Amino acid sequence: MKVTIHIWDLPHRLFHWLLAVSVVAAYITAKIGGELIDWHGRLGIFILGLLVFRLIWGFIGSTHSRFSTFFPTFSRITAYLKGQWQGIGHNPLGAISVIALLTAVAVQVGTGLFANDDIAFEGPLFDYIDKDFSDKLTGLHSTTFYILLGFVVLHLIAIVFYRFVKKTNLVKPMLTGKKEVPRALAETLAPEHTTIAFGAVRFILSLIITSTVVWGVSGGVTQLYPIQNQQQAANESTTTTVAPPAPSSF
Amino acid sequence: MNKKIPLAILLTATATAALAGPIEEQIRFRQSAYSFAAWNIQKIKAQVVDHPETYNKDTVAAAANAIAAVANSGLGALYGEGTDQGIGWKQTRLKPEFFQKKDEAIKIANTFNEAANELAKVAATGDVNLIKTQFGKVGESCKSCHDLIRIKE
Ligand code: HEM
Ligand code: HEM
Repeated sequence: MKVTIHIWDLPHRLFHWLLAVSVVAAYITAKIGGELIDWHGRLGIFILGLLVFRLIWGFIGSTHSRFSTFFPTFSRITAYLKGQWQGIGHNPLGAISVIALLTAVAVQVGTGLFANDDIAFEGPLFDYIDKDFSDKLTGLHSTTFYILLGFVVLHLIAIVFYRFVKKTNLVKPMLTGKKEVPRALAETLAPEHTTIAFGAVRFILSLIITSTVVWGVSGGVTQLYPIQNQQQAANESTTTTVAPPAPSSF
Repeated sequence: MNKKIPLAILLTATATAALAGPIEEQIRFRQSAYSFAAWNIQKIKAQVVDHPETYNKDTVAAAANAIAAVANSGLGALYGEGTDQGIGWKQTRLKPEFFQKKDEAIKIANTFNEAANELAKVAATGDVNLIKTQFGKVGESCKSCHDLIRIKE
């Protein structure tokens, strides 16, 4: 006998699918380059927003979104290895995968913000470091992507494995937010584990913090606190963003 | 016959060296050439893409001409034997595989030339939309060459 319970709340699901779509789009725009590198940068900033939101939601989201409910602690991992783990959110292995994926995306965004393409694009924090260091981070940005790609592939393999070997559909709950579990199991759970309190206030609060961080990183801070070494900054970028109005003889 | 081959090689080598100078010099000149192209590409980006309200036809046309001049200057002469190792302004980032991938690189270099010449042409017309599209094509040719023969840091 199975019952349907609510597991992933709407913000969590939106986060998931927007992240998936934007990472794919970021990859495509980076590979094509040209005019699209600007869109790569914009997508990267958007992904930064998604990450910040997810981090906040990991503390104030509904039950199964919270890191505390699924963080792969030592006792959870041992229980899982002994086949004794019980629960309906991420199991410890899934939790490790979640943390690995989020970290890899964070590294990607973190290096991207300081990167440059040596043609006509710089991440919004480029001016805060010197060109050599930016070149190093750009190189990292290109290589660490393969780590992210590896985690994504494992993620997809796990989903296929669950679908066909363990006969569990993981995709549907991430779309509908609902999951079918054995009644016996559901009855052992506290009500907050089987229903979702949406929490408009928590959601709006998260959005406000997220937009503040994104605004700050993508230019707000530079506006409020212009870079100390004006001369250096001017040499590196201002001259190029405000090019001379007309060529003179020198 | 047997003696002519080394002679021919020697002659080509001297000719190339006379045109482009020793290894470190070739590297230095090509790093300068691309940096100068980048400065001009960035001016166009600033006035056409990022801050179109600052667009000035003459500045953009001058920048596009400068890029075309770099592209048409015969940069191939700066890719002599042995220039995958050495320090110009800094350590070169030319991949050693360049010498096996020369045909492909030449193809991209030609695309770059055509794109740059076309950019100079449209820049002279002052049609901002055309300039923007063509600017993107030049940027793509820069990138495809960097992807092919330039070492990632
Ligand atoms: C999760 C988000 C991101 C992903 C998945 C991603 C992915 C990539 C990949 C795969 C490349 C390499 C393309 C190649 O090797 O041809 C790349 C290049 C680049 N990315 Fe990102 N990126 C992300 C975020 C960002 C952000 C936030 C910025 C800056 C705002 C940024 C700036 C750049 C730049 C400047 C390059 C060009 C590097 C070069 O030409 O060598 N990226 N990105
Ligand atoms: C307008 C288009 C281009 C721009 C803006 C551009 C920009 C740059 C910049 C800024 C550098 C670094 C210079 C330095 O290290 O000081 C560079 C290096 C380089 N570029 Fe480009 N580039 C362009 C087109 C091309 C093309 C078409 C090729 C291929 C034929 C190419 C191949 C290289 C190579 C091999 C290096 C490394 C040179 C060395 O370190 O010895 N670039 N480019």
